[in-house]
Amino acid sequence: MSDEVAFASIGELARRLRRRELDPPALLELFAARIERLGDVSKAFISLDLERARERAATVGTDFQGRGPLAGIPYACKDLFDVQGIATTAGSRVLADNVASRDAAAIARMQRAGAIFIGKNNLHEFAYGATGENSFYGTPPNPWDSSRLAGGSSSGSAAALAYGLCAAALGTDTGGSVRAPAALCGLVGFKPTYGRIATEGVIPYSWSLDHVGSLTRSAADAQFLFAALARDSAAPDPGDLRGLEFGIADSFFFERCDSEILAAVERLMDFLQGAGARLVPVTMPSMEYTRSVSLTVQMPEALCYHNRYLATRGELYSPDFRAGLALGQCLLAEQYIRALRLIETYRRDLQRVFDSVDLLLTPATPVIAPAIGSVEVSVDGHSEPVGNAITRYTSFFNMTGHPAITFPCGMHGSGLPIAAQLVGRHYADENLLEITALIEREFGFTLPHPPIDLPTTSTGPKLD
Amino acid sequence: MKKLQKKTLIGMRDQLGGYPWSDAEISELVAPKLGIITGLQDLLEQLEELRGIDLEAIPPAGDIPKP
Repeated sequence: MSDEVAFASIGELARRLRRRELDPPALLELFAARIERLGDVSKAFISLDLERARERAATVGTDFQGRGPLAGIPYACKDLFDVQGIATTAGSRVLADNVASRDAAAIARMQRAGAIFIGKNNLHEFAYGATGENSFYGTPPNPWDSSRLAGGSSSGSAAALAYGLCAAALGTDTGGSVRAPAALCGLVGFKPTYGRIATEGVIPYSWSLDHVGSLTRSAADAQFLFAALARDSAAPDPGDLRGLEFGIADSFFFERCDSEILAAVERLMDFLQGAGARLVPVTMPSMEYTRSVSLTVQMPEALCYHNRYLATRGELYSPDFRAGLALGQCLLAEQYIRALRLIETYRRDLQRVFDSVDLLLTPATPVIAPAIGSVEVSVDGHSEPVGNAITRYTSFFNMTGHPAITFPCGMHGSGLPIAAQLVGRHYADENLLEITALIEREFGFTLPHPPIDLPTTSTGPKLD
Repeated sequence: MKKLQKKTLIGMRDQLGGYPWSDAEISELVAPKLGIITGLQDLLEQLEELRGIDLEAIPPAGDIPKP
């Protein structure tokens, strides 16, 4: 299979399907062959559903009249989403036999749109962590440098797409788990306004912060997925950068950040100004306690869900997740409720910021993809745990519920992608996607394909 | 605010109900040695600082109202 097709956007694949340069079964087989060659290397999949995918692809046919762009497009999902007849493992031994009896709402919507489900992606166990390290299913490497992390928790979703094993993937984002791995792997990661894509049928991590999101090759592709997944999507306003006001945070979001990442985002700012947009300095809510507030909500909620398994399967959890759950039991109800009230203040404060700007622009992450196995990363002489660094610029918007998207905007000297993040107003998802797609077209930055070394022979697929 | 003691968490476990975490896991929360969890003491101190903020009648965050 040519890289040209493996790394093509959904828009391009849809055009080829309509021109009959490709047909859905052939497209599926092209990805299936790549999975056979790269499945072990990428550690991107926990399970495959290729036989049913072949049946679905065969029924799509070649008449695309009146059908949406996802018809016949192969996609994968993080293994937190229920797919009828397949185990939803959540990347954990705890749920290795947890066969779903029905499809998650998001999967059902993708099916209605004609997309072809091909398999379930690896992840940080139960989405508890941003590194994507998984001692049971393996740690997906970054296709730009296999000694580095793909990032997480939607690690396998990012790896599957970045290795060219599917055309799109679904993930979940509780602190940046879609946006951060997308950023580290040179993809587009989108999380919508809280609640706009149903989480029904998705194993929860923290109900108050969980969002279903998408990983795609472009913002235009994210638009296709959002139109299919959202309960009530609408047409966006016409995209026009002239006169748009981009808020630039006067603190936190540009601090302790890799200098090449800052330089890439500054080039993007220069482009925006040149295109007639205004950059407006904005004062953000205080970030001093945000990580503690988020943790105080996350861990009691996670414990509350996992209580159903702890008594009978507690020994199957990884020690780090058990430790997090134990912490959740040591917090007082008042502390939990206070944290939720503080989140409400963050929402209101950020809403006030959006009274004066249309969007916020930040770097997506303060670091490029860290090395696999690293515990801490250091920027400007300040060390912090890897997971905290990866999600430092993303997690706040899970609390406020604003739609946010990360997208490639440069290449680091180390050969790894750099990404920016745009944040929009509540329920302005369509406009956020439209503006990002416009920037994508006009900014003039194109990421090359990752330098993947294809094994010449299969090591033998371990997956069914 | 006094430093959190292991016996406090053991008392909570034994007297308030909930999952019976092992003594070793509770030790790790109070005095992390394995590097699998950090910061319960720091977290509690931060939460105590936050308790001093008057949130007036602001409710807990819930669904986001449509504009």
